[in-house]
Amino acid sequence: MTRFSVPSIRIPFRQHLLGNGMRVIAHEDHGAPIVAVHLMYHAGSRHERPGRTGLAHLLEHLMFEGSEHAPKGAFDDLLERAGGTNNGSTWLDRTNYYEVVPSHAVELALWLERDRMAHFLPVLGEEMLELQRGVVINERKQHYENRPYGMADERLGQLLFPGEHPYGWPTIGYIPDLEAITLEDARTFYRTYYTPSNSVLVFAGDVAADDAFALAERYYGDLPAGPALPANGAAPSPAPGHRRETLPDRVSFPRVYRAWDVPAYGTPDWVALDVLAYLLGDGDSSRLQRALVRDGRIAQETDTYLYPTELRAVFGAVATARSGVPAEALEETLHRTIGEVAAGSATEEEVTAALRRVRRDQVADLATVEGRAEALAYAATVLGGAERLDEVMEAYARVTPEDVARVAAEHLRPEAGATVVVAPAGEEARDAA
Amino acid sequence: MQRDAARRRVMEAPALGAPPVPRVPRPERWTLSNGLRVVAVPRAAIPQVALRLAVPVGSAADPAQYPGTAGMVAALLTEGTLALDAEALNARIDALGASVSAHAGHDHSEVEMTLLAGTLDEGIPLLAELATRPAFPEDETERVRAEALDALEARTDEPANVADDRLLAEVFGADHPYGHPVFGTAEGVGSVPRAALEAFHRESFRPLGAYLVAAGDFDPAELRAVLERAFGGWTGRAPGVVYPPAPERPARAGERVALPWEDSAQGEVRIGGVGLPRRSPDWIPAAVANYVLGGSTILGRLGANLREDKGWTYGVRSGFSAGLEPGGWSAETAVAGEATSDAVREMLAEIRRMTEEPVPEEELRRAKDALVLSLPRAFETPGRVASRFSTLEAYHLPHDYWERFPDRIAAVTPDEVLRVCRAYLDPARLVTVTVGGE
Repeated sequence: MTRFSVPSIRIPFRQHLLGNGMRVIAHEDHGAPIVAVHLMYHAGSRHERPGRTGLAHLLEHLMFEGSEHAPKGAFDDLLERAGGTNNGSTWLDRTNYYEVVPSHAVELALWLERDRMAHFLPVLGEEMLELQRGVVINERKQHYENRPYGMADERLGQLLFPGEHPYGWPTIGYIPDLEAITLEDARTFYRTYYTPSNSVLVFAGDVAADDAFALAERYYGDLPAGPALPANGAAPSPAPGHRRETLPDRVSFPRVYRAWDVPAYGTPDWVALDVLAYLLGDGDSSRLQRALVRDGRIAQETDTYLYPTELRAVFGAVATARSGVPAEALEETLHRTIGEVAAGSATEEEVTAALRRVRRDQVADLATVEGRAEALAYAATVLGGAERLDEVMEAYARVTPEDVARVAAEHLRPEAGATVVVAPAGEEARDAA
Repeated sequence: MQRDAARRRVMEAPALGAPPVPRVPRPERWTLSNGLRVVAVPRAAIPQVALRLAVPVGSAADPAQYPGTAGMVAALLTEGTLALDAEALNARIDALGASVSAHAGHDHSEVEMTLLAGTLDEGIPLLAELATRPAFPEDETERVRAEALDALEARTDEPANVADDRLLAEVFGADHPYGHPVFGTAEGVGSVPRAALEAFHRESFRPLGAYLVAAGDFDPAELRAVLERAFGGWTGRAPGVVYPPAPERPARAGERVALPWEDSAQGEVRIGGVGLPRRSPDWIPAAVANYVLGGSTILGRLGANLREDKGWTYGVRSGFSAGLEPGGWSAETAVAGEATSDAVREMLAEIRRMTEEPVPEEELRRAKDALVLSLPRAFETPGRVASRFSTLEAYHLPHDYWERFPDRIAAVTPDEVLRVCRAYLDPARLVTVTVGGE
């Protein structure tokens, strides 16, 4: 098995800049008669302020409630009739809106996005705010509050990014904040961030790049750029020391959430950490699967993850205890296993195998025009340019076992980061008694 | 900002041209010398190969005293074979950058494998090895059993799971295999002997009656040769599974089973009944009818009412379950706790309306257009292509099913929709389960 038997993935594209600052990217793929239209705003929950958390995501919901010339219901109705789908999502650094349509309906998607970029505020009213406030509060309850272990990630974020760090609150927002958001809050956020100069528009699929650029000029070229926004400040430095907390929940088994804040998406260390995440947690032969689940037999399951975020990234490891195993045993094994890699025990074969699994997931993520459009839009938004995506993809091939050891030693120290242990509520009470 | 808006030019909504004609791939089909049916859909656009190998024996064939047998057998396929112990097998899979998962359904047991392009000759022998020669090592069997028991216990921590499992039991009852979750019971998983797992595998995993679907970046001639080499020594026929008749309707049809859940943040709602076999000619009009009601979470009648009009829920949807035998139909949502009873009432009213009035032509056309024009997306990736063609093999549907799909959808009439709604969605034939809420 040779090191470079899995070539880097390239997504060919062309770029065009509108006079108002909107960046337009076109990736052609004529394999199927469909086109992904992806509009990403550089506005996420980190652009909110404390007391108004959840605003970016609530605004995303409001954007589906109609605009001046496409009243409530028309957006979904027109697209669905044309055989298209659409959705939006909000995260820490960005909000996106996207449509995947048969190639005859590209203009419809552009027109609908234009209408809500240019003619949304006149329809933004109390009634739709109240309705979507209810939907979002139910989303929070369904996905977090009413789900076992559902509150762990929120607490982990608070511990990892304490104070008023913009990654310290959850994108879904806190209930009192969601209840406090006013129409004026939504208007201000929209006017500030939902502008051509703060957005990237990607076409991916069965459309010629020149046609895509002409359509972008036609539908967005006349819109005003929007206010200039301050550049990112320096990333706040991580809080020193390790913060650990136990969260009682209605669960049968303890689960450990261990996380560190690490260098941002796209940096060389981030790429090495991504390989490390696979080497530790992906596949039954990976280090943590063996130490915790297969050989160690103290966990039912384990996983690792790495956020691709802009200011700082988050490296996380999660493990659920088997019957009768205390959380501390999982934490001890987790730290010991990472310590072994940090001490230089990862082999060339292990790193190569991890790289292949990274490529496997990249191929899967980029298998759809929707996935490719999002990857290009995301690189353009948080890395500053779509061309950075190729650089990041190519950087994987240069990761060595020494890099993997170094980033483990440097960024995943036992005395840094945060731990949340979710414990069965009854046992917690017994411990306290 | 009113001023801003006024300054911005108003553009007319674009007139759309003719939609592209949906094309679906036409697979190559052949049978290996041992009788294994092969469906191959080569397309080089994405450097990946998706494989699905299935036998027509699932949890419906679990020994009565050991519910969960099929699920345990599937879980143990990747835990060591006659030639490779678990560690060696996993190391080989992980080094290829492959992924493998095996699972049982009610009607089938299936192994899914995803390979990077160019690794077929290494990957397929591993697939054959683990599917046809698993060793069920004692050590790994006991670990997987312990994990499965823990997972069964953890499952009841989540009200959504409790609602799902209870609905199956209420719709099909204890005497039908569809009334039991595939993962079985703690008693069954805890007590099934290794010998019973080996016997289940030995009888069920046989090439006659099984099928393999491959989609993605490969050369069909190479696939044919590699498959013949890897699976050629595998012989025999999978047994036919005999199902008891499906109940006419749920035992407590027309009633609501309300399970308490202390301090629940939401009420989980499930409404369900007995549907139809996947092969039924009614499946197509039923799919159109369901799309109108709840196949589209925002635009369906249920979503328009509960989410868009009332703001009670993040989402609500409905669907028919595919099965060799009549599967279930269900509508499901989670709503603000205090709105639980109101939500049940509104959902039943929307369902009843489907059985009382024909769907207006315009609403029907939107559903049909959405189903047909979304076809290219349904075949976009190797994984999706493999899934679409697995469905045809799994339920014995005609080879040209997807080619004829647009015309069959187009031909559905409002009367047909009304007829299938009356047959399957009459609220008198449905049972309601709620967990938590008021």
